[in-house]
This record gives sequence, structure tokens and C-alpha cells, in this order.
Amino acid sequence: MAARLAEEWFAICGGCEVTILDIGEPLLDLLEKVQIVHMPVLMDHKLYGQTGEKTEMEIPEAEIGLISGGIRSDEHKLLAQEMRRKCKTLIALGSCACYGGIPALANLYTTEELLTKVYRESVTTDKNGFPHEDIPALTDRVYALSEVVKVDLILPGCPTTPEMVAGALTALLEGRPFTLPSKSVCDECPTIREKKAVSALRRRLEPPTFTPGAPLNQMRCFIEQGFLCNGPATRSGCGGSQGTPRCIRAYMPCEGCFGPLSEKANPMVDMMGALSTVGLDPKQIPDRAATFNRFSGAGRLRPAPRR
Amino acid sequence: MGLAVERGFEPVILALACNWCSYSGADLAGISRCQYPTNVRIIRVMCSGMVHPNLVIDALTKGADGVVMCGCHPADCHYQDGNLKAERRAEAITLMLQDFGIEEERFKLAWVSASEGPQFAKLMTEFTEQVRRLGPSPYKP
Repeated sequence: MAARLAEEWFAICGGCEVTILDIGEPLLDLLEKVQIVHMPVLMDHKLYGQTGEKTEMEIPEAEIGLISGGIRSDEHKLLAQEMRRKCKTLIALGSCACYGGIPALANLYTTEELLTKVYRESVTTDKNGFPHEDIPALTDRVYALSEVVKVDLILPGCPTTPEMVAGALTALLEGRPFTLPSKSVCDECPTIREKKAVSALRRRLEPPTFTPGAPLNQMRCFIEQGFLCNGPATRSGCGGSQGTPRCIRAYMPCEGCFGPLSEKANPMVDMMGALSTVGLDPKQIPDRAATFNRFSGAGRLRPAPRR
Repeated sequence: MGLAVERGFEPVILALACNWCSYSGADLAGISRCQYPTNVRIIRVMCSGMVHPNLVIDALTKGADGVVMCGCHPADCHYQDGNLKAERRAEAITLMLQDFGIEEERFKLAWVSASEGPQFAKLMTEFTEQVRRLGPSPYKP
């Protein structure tokens, strides 16, 4: 019998669902082994029965549950709890579900500040009241899935990689364990490091120095070239079987989308330590909290403390 | 803070002292019978340059009221430039304390040589008093 699969999406762009599609040919083999029972992005399965006849929300039981997106409203919270009840193995798909992702940058402000900015103060907006009819209330901040329900497996990345999704699903279906890499992006990065910056801090839009066509292992480390590369504090794995991290392959510094190396790590502190050690001026780093927690804001970013 | 004073607030001070200068300085303070507050807990590290910002931030968010990082005087470092590294990191730590809502005065970087026992005792006394005036760390339960 095919394993049943349920999927839900919360505060997310939908990119991680595209990643599932992006698995390509191996997806055809995978689809033979799973039966999708609930997936709002793909199929019409309503929560309160197809004609709204039921009084209680219902998601069918499933062996595998996938959830993408962080928790931003009361509706997300209820759905996450319902998914947990119905799914044997619950997987957080993508950095939003794992660490809050981009939407969690909003944790730098209070919900009130956000609403006021968006619905009242924004120049291009008609100054209306806040929307309140028939919509679920916002939570006080963006939560990662694991802060609300127990999560069995996280697949980070923005978006996560097709190889990783396919690998995890195949492992689950075959009853094998699946583990994430525990090294940092720097461990898989081929560029040359000499632990000393050769340039002052540079803007992201400036081009790095490299010889076009030459292999990456002849290029100098991005941090030492003065770019804010999140490699030292970011989990590796985005390179998949190719090894070399995705952004590095494209001559771009790491954005940090695979999130911190451990649940308890604080990427900002790690990065500030790494950057000041190679000799970059920590005072010049713009917006450090958001820059270094770009994908891991849930539980790490908060409104600036008032003294 | 008022409450803390009533209860007799005793700050927990963590001193990270480098093996070659500051720890010997602390030793000398002991041998010379210099008095300094018992609030100070010294951890010996091989070099002030090995003190990662994580150690300081973790200490301040998990129970310490003040952290003082001691290393050799500039140009005296046993590893040549460890204390300069510490200086750059201290700058980053001071910046991050704002993000964590911790008063900057709870952290200090100081140079103490092996022959400066009395100076070590004076530094610790002054820093403990400074932290005592600030009251308990905002992260204290």
C-alpha cells in the first residue's frame, strides 16, 4: 500500500512546493510510492468537508506530513496541531518552517508596529483601518514549526534542495534513517582562506575578485575579500552530491539559508566573532541582527530592547 | 534594583584570564595577599584571543552579571597577536551587548601583566563595584 502524504503551507512563498516538483524524474518513482491525501497547493481538499458540512476541521490521517512556512496566525497554529495529530512523521520543509525564514524578519518589530506601517503609515496606502473581518488573528511573532509542535525532521534551505527532499522521502519510505549534514558551509567551500582580510568591508553588489573560468579553489574566501558571507555560521548541505555550496558555485557569498548549525546556536554572535577575527571592522556591519539571522529569526530576533 | 540592594545583591563576575600574563597576575595578587571581592570567578584561558564572543554573551545571558576579559599588554602576547584579536572581538562584543539589551558596563577588556598583582586586585574591586551599582543582569530569572 502506498504511504499517505499530507502537506500544508503557512507563512511561505510556495518555493519549497516548487522544489518538490523540481525533483524531476525521481519524482515519478516517488509518486508511485505515495498517495497524496491533503495538499492545498495541489488539490481541492477542504478542511470542513467539501461542502462545508462538517463542524470540526479535519485533515486525513497520513504516514508522512510535510509543512512549509512559519506560524504567523492562529489558523496556522491550529492547522499545525491538527497535522501533528494526524501525521506519523512530521517534516518541516524549508527554512520558514525550520527557523521562521524571511517572514521572521518581522520579529524585529511588534505586531502593532507592523500593522500600523502596512495599513496606515505606508505612503502608497490609503489610510484605512486594520482588516478584521473573517480573518484569523496574527500571532505575537513568527514562530518556527518546532516552537509549536514536535517536529521529527527538518529540511532547511530557501528553498530546500530537490535532492534533499527526495533523499529524505526515499529514506523514510524505505525505513532508513536520514540525517542532515552537521558541518558548516565553510567546511565544504573550496575557496582559499588565510585568516586575514585583504580588503575593508565591501557592499554585496560589488563584484568579488576572481578569474573567470578558473576553478573555485583558486579564488580567495569571500569574507577575506570583505563580503558578508554567512558560511561560518550556516549548515552545509545545499551543495548536495556536488559538494560545493550553491551560492559559492555562482560566485556569490553564502546567504545563510540553511540556518544555524544547531538549535541553540546564535548566528549573529558567531558571525561577529568570525568577521572581527579576520580583521573586518565590526562597527561597519550594517543591520547585524537581521543580516546574520536572515533565515533564522524565529526565537532569535526580537524588537530592539528599550533601556 | 532596589529589591536587589535590600536582599544584598552579590554580583557574579566572570574573569577570563590569559594563562601567560593575567592568570599569573591573579596568582601574584593571591601570593601578595591583595584583597579583592570573592564575587570574581576566574577561568584560565590559553590566550585572550581564544575567547569567542559566544562565551561572553552566553555567560551574560545565563547567569553572570559581569564579564571581564584579561590579556597581556599589547605587544606582550605570548602568541604575538592574540591580544589584538581579543581587542577586535571585544569591539564586536560591545556592539552586540546592545542587541541583547545588556548594559555595556557589564563587559570590560583589560590588560594585566604577570607582575601586576595589585593592579589585578584593584581592577577586580572596581569592576565588581561597577556591576554592583548596575544591579542584576536583565537576564537573571
